[in-house]
Amino acid sequence: MAGIVAPTVAADASSYQRKPGLMAWLVLAPLLIWLVLFVIVPTVMLICVSFAERDALGRVVWTFNGQNYLRALDWDTVKALPQLLPRNISEGTEAILKQDGVSGDPNLSQRLRGIGAGMVATFNAFVWFRILLISIWYALLTTIICMVIGYPVASFIGRSPEKMRVILLTLVMIPFWTSFLVRTYAWITILSKEGLVNSLLVAAQIIPEPITILYTPFASVLGLVYNYLPFMILPIYTSVERLDNAMVEAAYDLGAGPVRAFSQVIIPLTKPGIVAGILLVFVPSIAMFAITNLMGGGNPPTIGEVIYKQFTSGRNQPFGAALGTLLLVTFIISLWLTRKQRED
Amino acid sequence: MKHTTRNFIVTALAATVLAGCGKAPSPVVTESSSPPDAPQTTTGDAEKKLNLFCWSEYVPQSVIDQFTKETGIKVSVENYASNEEMLAKLLAGGGSYDLIQPSEYVIESLIKENLLIPIDHAAIPNMKNLAPDFVNMSFDPGNQYTVPYMAGTVGIVVNTALVQDDIKGYTDVFQEKFKKNIVVLDDAREIVSWGLNTAGIPVNEVSDENLAKVKPILAQWLPLVKVYDSDSPKTALLNGDVALGVVWGGEGAKLLEADKKFKWVTPVEGSHLFVDSLAIPKAAKHVKNAQLFMDFILRPDISAKISQEFPYLNPNLAARALLSEEQRNNPASFPTAAELSKMETFKDIGEQASKVDELVTSLKAQ
Repeated sequence: MAGIVAPTVAADASSYQRKPGLMAWLVLAPLLIWLVLFVIVPTVMLICVSFAERDALGRVVWTFNGQNYLRALDWDTVKALPQLLPRNISEGTEAILKQDGVSGDPNLSQRLRGIGAGMVATFNAFVWFRILLISIWYALLTTIICMVIGYPVASFIGRSPEKMRVILLTLVMIPFWTSFLVRTYAWITILSKEGLVNSLLVAAQIIPEPITILYTPFASVLGLVYNYLPFMILPIYTSVERLDNAMVEAAYDLGAGPVRAFSQVIIPLTKPGIVAGILLVFVPSIAMFAITNLMGGGNPPTIGEVIYKQFTSGRNQPFGAALGTLLLVTFIISLWLTRKQRED
Repeated sequence: MKHTTRNFIVTALAATVLAGCGKAPSPVVTESSSPPDAPQTTTGDAEKKLNLFCWSEYVPQSVIDQFTKETGIKVSVENYASNEEMLAKLLAGGGSYDLIQPSEYVIESLIKENLLIPIDHAAIPNMKNLAPDFVNMSFDPGNQYTVPYMAGTVGIVVNTALVQDDIKGYTDVFQEKFKKNIVVLDDAREIVSWGLNTAGIPVNEVSDENLAKVKPILAQWLPLVKVYDSDSPKTALLNGDVALGVVWGGEGAKLLEADKKFKWVTPVEGSHLFVDSLAIPKAAKHVKNAQLFMDFILRPDISAKISQEFPYLNPNLAARALLSEEQRNNPASFPTAAELSKMETFKDIGEQASKVDELVTSLKAQ
């Protein structure tokens, strides 16, 4: 709502600025061309291709149908849901009865466990949607961890003396000096069974034999957090730096404790940085597959990888485009949600 | 009848908002077309250039350098990681590739679609060096269009320091006790072919019915896998993160060279043979240079050099003679004649490829 109201209020004041002169257009032109060429045209193409078909060699054949979207949304499974769910539940209940070694009617706990098992089995019948959800879950986890680590770090940097600040910020940005692929490969040598961490732990006799760290979901999330943490720290730092200390002092003077000052003054004042940080971490980590492939062993597959495969080995660009468009919709939704947050 | 992506880009450029700045090429066009220094107007080989479009990690730089040194032909190399990636770029109108390196099933469909230029055998005398098993193969009878570069198979690598069992085939690898101790190729067609082998179905018969038969087998196998990696499956084995792997022969051969604890097993259920060849696409501008390169890599010393760096199954008999005893006896590079005779090559499966991909993707995410 706020988005609609605000411009009408400001309309009068800014109306004569609405007609930029030739000079303004010239200054804007590179940006506009860039936007059109690299954002609008590819997006329009993606959407067009997503309604097409492909031939045996993978060439795009121009037709117009929603087949790819029906497949991407597991429409066959959705249609079968009324039969599938009860069947899976009854099969799940039977399996649990068998497991418990009883026959006859299931009791309440067995019935509930049966329903649970049936629902899991039904959820497993969704192929593509489930992969999207797994990817969103990884991204969400990454964002939360980045936030928990990044916020204290950013406020510490923002509140340290000028000289320290430069040094600390440089430290945050040093990883950007090398390619992220190189850094990810470095993690492989650190985490593998014969890697640095395991060798140290075994040598220090903390663990008797090497443990599995690499190629687990933990390693995937670790890689994602490591890679995206600076994107959380930097925007929050900018907000913290601009935070007016007088406000915080005023909160204390008015009797607020540290918790209240933090939650009711500091957080709302640094919100723009937090929201920007969330977006910068969440959105790219949904589709990131280089890290999950290298550190997670590609197991489970993520949506970015699945889309990439449709465009390459799957020989199915239209289907890949449909999945890509759905991912785009996910991004738009998350943008919209955070935008609402910012305006509240 | 069929419009290609390129046509679409052109239409899109003309039709959309771009009217104002329509001359600027879209990024997709530049990506799929030639490298910037590619000639646009020359008719052929007066120009000493060759645009090679090949697999990554397959043509040693030293071989390319030597070719340039001997012939004065400058080679620009572009790499791809899968046959399909190559196909996509080629079909998108990449008019400037002179030489491509497709696998057997892609060659078959490229010939069918009339996308290759027949080669002049008189220009490639070194063809005589090839083993009889690798000429006149079913995907290109009479080698009208292609010259085999390297071949290979897929098989099992066992880290005997970690696994004492006698591993004979896929069913011995995919056991509950090796759960999360296995690396496999990240390639849907490959994975399904192992299932087909196990079910006793020929690897090219990927009907819906056969896929349904393979599904329960793979549903049991894939949850046991720890790593999916086609690019460098040897890494996880070398680092000790997994004890077993189903990998490319060339990767297996390197592991065997690296450490005696690794053992190569050709699966009893069956395996398949892949043959990567050099071919000249229709739009090539330096056909004679391309044939020179084909002849060059068939020279025994050059072919042996390639084998030394990438120890796949070398189809070049004269080159094999130059390899060391140890290299020639590497079971991952060179399967026995008896094993070889049982191996099939992949045929193009057309649109079934999507179903194969969906089957494996869904089971991987389980």
